[in-house]
Amino acid sequence: MKEIVTIQVGDFANYIGSHFWNFQDELLGLAQEPDGDPIYKSMPLDMDVLYRVGETQEGIPTYCPRLVLVGFQGSLGSLSPSGSLYHNIRSSDTSDIITWSGNVSKHASEPRKKNLFLQSLDGEGQGKSTVMGNDAVEERGNALIQVQDKDRVECLENGVQYWTDFSKVQYHPRSLFELHGSWADLQKFDNYGIGKDILSEGLQVEEMNERLRFFVEECDRIQGIQFIVDDSGGFSSVAATFLEDIADDYRNTPVLLYTARSPSSYGNVMSKNESISRSLHDAISFSRLSSLCKLMVPIGLPSLSKSKFSLLHVEDKKLFHSSAVYAASIHSISIPFRMEMLGPVANSSYAIGAMNFGEAIQMLTGQASQNMVSTLDVAMPAPSSIDEKRQGSILRSLHSLTPEIKDDAVDFHAVETMIIHGALYSGGHRASVSQVKDSICASYENEPQKPLFSHLTVALCPLPIPLPFPSIFKSQVGRNGELLPGPTQGDQPKGALDIDSVPMAARLRSSNAITPYIERRLTSMQRYGSQRGTSGAELLHKWGFGREEIEDMVEDLARKVLALNPHSEMSTDSD
Amino acid sequence: MSLRVLNPNAEVLNKSAALHMTINAAKGLQDVLKTNLGPKGTIKMLVGGAGDIKLTKDGNTLLKEMQIQNPTAIMIARTAVAQDDTSGDGTTSTVLFIGELMKQSERYIDEGMHPRVLVDGFDIAKRATLEFIEKFKTPVTIGETPDAEILKMVARTTLRTKLYEALADQLTDIVLNAVLCVRKPDEPIDLFMVEIMHMRHKFDVDTRLVEGLVLDHGSRHPDMKRRVENCYILTCNVSLEYEKSEVNSGFFYSNAEQREKMVAAERRQVDDRVKKIIELKNKVCSGNDNNFVVINQKGIDPPSLDLLARAGIVALRRAKRRNMERLVLACGGEAVNSVDDLTQDCLGWAGLVYEHVLGEEKYTFVENVKNPHSCTILIKGPNDHTIAQIKDAVRDGLRSVKNTIEDEAVILGAGAFEVAASQHLINNVKKTVQGRAQLGVQAFADALLVVPKTLAENSGLDTQDVIIALTGEHDKGFVVGLNQHTGDPIDPLMEGIFDNYSVKRQLINSGPVIASQLLLVDEVIRAGRNMRKPS
Repeated sequence: MKEIVTIQVGDFANYIGSHFWNFQDELLGLAQEPDGDPIYKSMPLDMDVLYRVGETQEGIPTYCPRLVLVGFQGSLGSLSPSGSLYHNIRSSDTSDIITWSGNVSKHASEPRKKNLFLQSLDGEGQGKSTVMGNDAVEERGNALIQVQDKDRVECLENGVQYWTDFSKVQYHPRSLFELHGSWADLQKFDNYGIGKDILSEGLQVEEMNERLRFFVEECDRIQGIQFIVDDSGGFSSVAATFLEDIADDYRNTPVLLYTARSPSSYGNVMSKNESISRSLHDAISFSRLSSLCKLMVPIGLPSLSKSKFSLLHVEDKKLFHSSAVYAASIHSISIPFRMEMLGPVANSSYAIGAMNFGEAIQMLTGQASQNMVSTLDVAMPAPSSIDEKRQGSILRSLHSLTPEIKDDAVDFHAVETMIIHGALYSGGHRASVSQVKDSICASYENEPQKPLFSHLTVALCPLPIPLPFPSIFKSQVGRNGELLPGPTQGDQPKGALDIDSVPMAARLRSSNAITPYIERRLTSMQRYGSQRGTSGAELLHKWGFGREEIEDMVEDLARKVLALNPHSEMSTDSD
Repeated sequence: MSLRVLNPNAEVLNKSAALHMTINAAKGLQDVLKTNLGPKGTIKMLVGGAGDIKLTKDGNTLLKEMQIQNPTAIMIARTAVAQDDTSGDGTTSTVLFIGELMKQSERYIDEGMHPRVLVDGFDIAKRATLEFIEKFKTPVTIGETPDAEILKMVARTTLRTKLYEALADQLTDIVLNAVLCVRKPDEPIDLFMVEIMHMRHKFDVDTRLVEGLVLDHGSRHPDMKRRVENCYILTCNVSLEYEKSEVNSGFFYSNAEQREKMVAAERRQVDDRVKKIIELKNKVCSGNDNNFVVINQKGIDPPSLDLLARAGIVALRRAKRRNMERLVLACGGEAVNSVDDLTQDCLGWAGLVYEHVLGEEKYTFVENVKNPHSCTILIKGPNDHTIAQIKDAVRDGLRSVKNTIEDEAVILGAGAFEVAASQHLINNVKKTVQGRAQLGVQAFADALLVVPKTLAENSGLDTQDVIIALTGEHDKGFVVGLNQHTGDPIDPLMEGIFDNYSVKRQLINSGPVIASQLLLVDEVIRAGRNMRKPS
């Protein structure tokens, strides 16, 4: 079991993905750096799980994410849909047209300007070859680079328009798929039906399947598909269609689905009709998507700035900001899937707790309640909590990224998998794997309610902060993600220039805390969808759902809620 | 009105302003697409904001690439795209025709005529034209062996409007043979059974028809042969990879040894399936030098590939779903979903299977098949936009042949039908109409002439001269089209210029409907944005 294929569908999903791949790219870079931190060099992560080796027609080797992403037409910004890796020679000279001997007219839209950051990426290749004359020049060159870094970070802080604006990854041309007929800024693309309409035109579904097939065919032992969807609008039906075909074609390949929402998708609802439409969209979208994957993880709080993350300073308006937090969490969750599988007794000083996709999903969903919707909690940066006095502080600093959950849920049947990587010992030293493990075990001993089962993954390697990472850390966070003692210096949020890496803790938890999330969808469906003649029922009809289908969905949601409800469980116990 | 009460900011355009807005939008769209039409039209190179290139001379593609904001234009564009979806061609003509109907109407409306009267006239003219097209069409007898010559002329007419002549003529034979290959008597033609594959390699003229199938992947084992002859083909949808079953999730073993045992037990199941395939291979290939190729829709993992390779079998995994069907049609045999009852009858046959590698792209050719009912058009070109454009043209060409076979009729091209229909309306129909609806018929007749006019304009000819020459010649009793080079009337039958009957019919049907709807709009209400403001 090895390869993971990643799919991203929707704008916010691509923002998250862009950060996610930036982390991977940074890890790759750090591992190769000759005088870099040895922690990255001895990294137990197998990058081939997420990346593929390829070769251009000119015979140049390539290393690209094993990824299919779907976005709005025109959402790629200054990135060409055919990527930049494989098709470099592109001439827009009309005399090169060989298929037509008659008249030619050329219509060029205004070239999208690359921002400072992207320009510097383009320049990197050439910059290396220029040899500096003497030390003085070199020093000046360094100063110049320093200034530029600051400018680059600034230009990203203020001017990210497309997810490609901050991406430093080279994508395979087959990865980039623009959904035709879905112009980004033109239509409101906010409900399940619209996505369906757009897909029905032409052969787009087939094209998406073909692209996925290209990546899967190469896999010798695929362990699963990691799927991120922006489910706040029409893309959830795009994802549902895609998932339906995946379930058909790759029946035994487990799918881990993150349904993500940007803070902006929680915008004000104007009219009653709109609110009905939105509730129904949420309900349908959840019902369809959850039936097509093995494990679903809803992420996306209405506001990260007002959340409990006391060390983060996130501007909700900027997708560039919020997506970074989700990307970091998804990165952490993906760590056990990429570690070398060792025997159950073997121990490594770099990492423990490897697991593959199928095992993780089986563990989280295979319990009595069969709950397949997990919550995602994260501590970013994770506190340095290994010393005995402050035991349990990692556990307490984990906060949920899943919306609409019960905070004070008591569930003795909860199952969880926790990943801690790059944890620090108090004082800023890296804690060893066994120290972290012992500390977590100890802190669970003192917890009033323990989960039924918990799987722990510990790795030494922290989350590297690449240059195009937003400035979202509060000023008391130090260079390695430690908490700086004493009064904080200034209020300026810190970003990639001040922070190299942060320790992370993330947890997937299957418990009854998710009940309100499902319940609300069930209620919307019952209230608006299942009564004949109401505007809601009409809407569902327009989206292509028959009455019976809706009834089945209601039944399915009700079953899910019931399974999570401890009272019903008690009654079955007494039978 | 109620909307205005609800939203005082909603903007209302009154009757004449609304009409002019609609007419202008229709004309605007017409202007954009006008230069596309005909073999003398202009090809458009679209360069996107990130430097990506599209080449097109196809109205449909162009409409899809445009970001249309005007509601009228959106309506027209949708009709035109729908035209393409149902009949595969005629997008440009539809837009031109609707635009021209609006333009002609504008003249009369400006003189004070009510749109309703015009619309009545359109209706009469439309019915008359649809009757006329039945008389005008040239029947084609299809039967067991269709008349290849006429099919070829239709395909050529379409292709020559998209590609330069030599390439168009080369592709004409390719699309014709492709359709004839997949055609089965008494069954509707399924164009999906023609695979269209492309290679970014060499030149456009290297495009060819492969009788058989080209797959876009190869075997994944270093020891498998890259070229085999006289092959049995096993088309299957059977998982040949080890998968963790649901119950065994790693919780039930307590030591490494136990785990190994479980893995081995599950492995055995997969191995058994592979062995059954190998058994069949040994049965059919013993004592001869035939080869055996497995093409699987599901995965094949390295240990299974290993076993197959050792048995001298070439195996491909994760084939396209649609290729399962195509393979069976091309090679014979049947697609099997289980290896339990494998017999020789399940197997297909191909004289030659070989692999072609271009960078990381691998292609597998399955050729020299017997009596194929599926084939592949392999498009080659030096870059992506050239390939894409040829692909669009090939699709149109295939559709035109399919339409002809299904219509069992064609229509004379080069504007001949439009001239004849227009003259028929003016000379015969108009007289039978009472009152002012006559003017609607007149407008309709004039609008039909947009096709020959535009053809003339794109060839750099004087449209007035051309129309006078054509109508004059027509009234002498000839069927005439336009010679694109000289502007003289020609007989399209002699030149072999034919259009699809169903395309023309659909165009006559849908154009006036949309135009009528647009003409009858007397108020445009739009909340939110100020629509008169130039954006």
